[in-house]
Amino acid sequence: MIRFADILVGNGGQVRCSRCHGEPQPASYRPAEEIAREISMACALWDGMPGPNILLTGAEPFGHPELPALVAAATDAHCRRLCLDTDALALRSPQNAGGSLMAGVRHLRWTILGGTPGVHDALYGEPGALDASVEGIRSFASIASDEALSISVTAVVPVCRHNAHDLPAAAGLAVDAGVDRILLHVEDGGLDLASALPWMSAACDTGVVNGVWVEVEGVPFCLLPGYDLHVADAVRERPGAKTPLCATCALDRVCAGAPAGASADQLATLSPPPFAARLAVSVSRARGVDA
Amino acid sequence: MATAPLRCAMLALNSPGYRSLALGYLRAYAQSDRRLAGRVAFETLDLDTDVDPWWVAWRVLGLEPDVLAVSVTCWNARAVYEVCRIVASVRPECAIVLGGPEVGPAAAEVLAAHSEVGVIVRGEGELTFADLLAELAGGGKAWRVDGITLRRSGEIVATPDRALVANLDDLPSPYLTGVLTPVDGGAYLETYRGCPHRCAYCFEGKGYGRIRSFSDERIAAEIDFVAAAPGVSTFSFIDPVFNLTGERLRMLAARMAPHVARGVRLHTIEVDIERIDPEAAAVLRSAGVASVETGPQTIGAGALEACHRPFNAERFVAGVAALRQTGISCECDLIVGLPGDDAYDFLAGLRFVLALDPGKIQSSTLHVLPGTELWERAAELGLEFDREPPHEVIATPGIGFRDLRRAEVLASSLQTAYRARI
Repeated sequence: MIRFADILVGNGGQVRCSRCHGEPQPASYRPAEEIAREISMACALWDGMPGPNILLTGAEPFGHPELPALVAAATDAHCRRLCLDTDALALRSPQNAGGSLMAGVRHLRWTILGGTPGVHDALYGEPGALDASVEGIRSFASIASDEALSISVTAVVPVCRHNAHDLPAAAGLAVDAGVDRILLHVEDGGLDLASALPWMSAACDTGVVNGVWVEVEGVPFCLLPGYDLHVADAVRERPGAKTPLCATCALDRVCAGAPAGASADQLATLSPPPFAARLAVSVSRARGVDA
Repeated sequence: MATAPLRCAMLALNSPGYRSLALGYLRAYAQSDRRLAGRVAFETLDLDTDVDPWWVAWRVLGLEPDVLAVSVTCWNARAVYEVCRIVASVRPECAIVLGGPEVGPAAAEVLAAHSEVGVIVRGEGELTFADLLAELAGGGKAWRVDGITLRRSGEIVATPDRALVANLDDLPSPYLTGVLTPVDGGAYLETYRGCPHRCAYCFEGKGYGRIRSFSDERIAAEIDFVAAAPGVSTFSFIDPVFNLTGERLRMLAARMAPHVARGVRLHTIEVDIERIDPEAAAVLRSAGVASVETGPQTIGAGALEACHRPFNAERFVAGVAALRQTGISCECDLIVGLPGDDAYDFLAGLRFVLALDPGKIQSSTLHVLPGTELWERAAELGLEFDREPPHEVIATPGIGFRDLRRAEVLASSLQTAYRARI
């Protein structure tokens, strides 16, 4: 529900599934002055509350040689919430974790590809990466606690055919690392949603029973009967929507939807048509990232 | 030979850092009662809810009480019952007397469920408790005291209700009598009893039916005493609506003014936000108000109607905006699980308060409290709730068990994200 304006600090080098996207490309970064101008403009033009809120994304922000200047630009522009989209590796250093906190960073979007090294490290292509990144998150949270600073960490899991089975473990790991929100973002058009949905449901349950909210992006309501509150649209966009679950849906224009008044049990028997998965992904992309 | 005084231990289990105002009133009144002078010795144990009940019992038993009087709320009830069981086992001759919003409205039910409890004081307790002590100290008959429920010859018996105190100034001030010592941040003042609203889920009005106020002179004396107490820089008011009337608000602000000039501030006072315009916000500011707490609790039409809650979105938004402009932090409260609401109504409420950027958002789950309309009408409204305190709602016709838990977690996550700011 809390929106962030995405500001690209560069391109490449982020945590992505190497089997879907190939080997990671080295990051390239934009000039600090240019980014600072965009930050300033985004804050000045912010038209909703609460905010303004800025997300530095596009490439690992700790790789930007002038990150402190970018953070300073955000605070100078009266940014209320500053979020870094990070792999958290740099946060293992107390200097980085403490420095970013003291400078004003309060939110992290932390990307993981799975809940076990066997999945995350294998898909990322770097042994030891998962443990190191968990260490970074814990370091950030520990210093924030010592300094009595309120922080929010969202674990983002890009869901693809290679990690869907590991979603419950990913949720468990994120809970254990201390996040307060988990975002399952379906980004693989070739993902067999029908087989992935039980894993998503299990991940949602893993979060909830541990007091951590799990949100699902890229899946229509009708595909997650009984779990519709977890669908991002429910949280962000539906103004007082009621049953039937798909009364107002991002897919309305192309999908006839579930039968009006259908029960959750009836909805569960619907077999998702092949186009639904592809469509869900394109809708998700069209909507853009919303931290 | 002089008879040893009745030893009366008064116990409250409070949120950490707070002291029980209720016990303060009870003790201040009882100590002022000439019938009890020299016949009853009082000792107050103001402990925190996080103290283990066995150690609470240790402290109580160390006083070797003849009477144990406990103030019970839904939050401390489970611990209180455990303490009472232990105390009754070790010291069966001790009379255990309970009072407070958790037990008064359900007195017979509580006595039936807790054999260790002897007497329950119903409703406003000051006069009733003093009368009861007078009977106990004199070896008299407790059943002659109005306003209690007790066991008599194996039966649970309720004596007639007691009339409300006509003039609140007849109740000595816990602060001015020295019974309560103000502590920074934890001191509360009460300027009136009753509530102008009739929200179906709330027991704030305690069934008083009408509003009775302490005199302006008494209020002024308490403000001056607490605000000037050593080490006190913040305190609060327990009144359900601080801005009850414009005239009253200005009176309180004028009384606070010299203390505000010294840096004293009021925190977390409850206001009727829809009656706050820029002028009222300025008066609140001049009263030293740093933060307020308010609704809307819900914005769902069905729940508002079921709970008799007035809600005008435009005035609410204007009220929050006026406070923001004046620099007063506002906590907007929401309740999940109200009858008439479903999960999406709750989400709409979250979106509404979030868009106001009030400063703090607090969501809680409905508690179906004894004495409230929802307690009485739970079956009719289809409310499933835990009969054991704190009486949390389990499921409603609009939102099932699993979605209730989801809504709680979602709201908690949102509060964390909202709070995390520069």
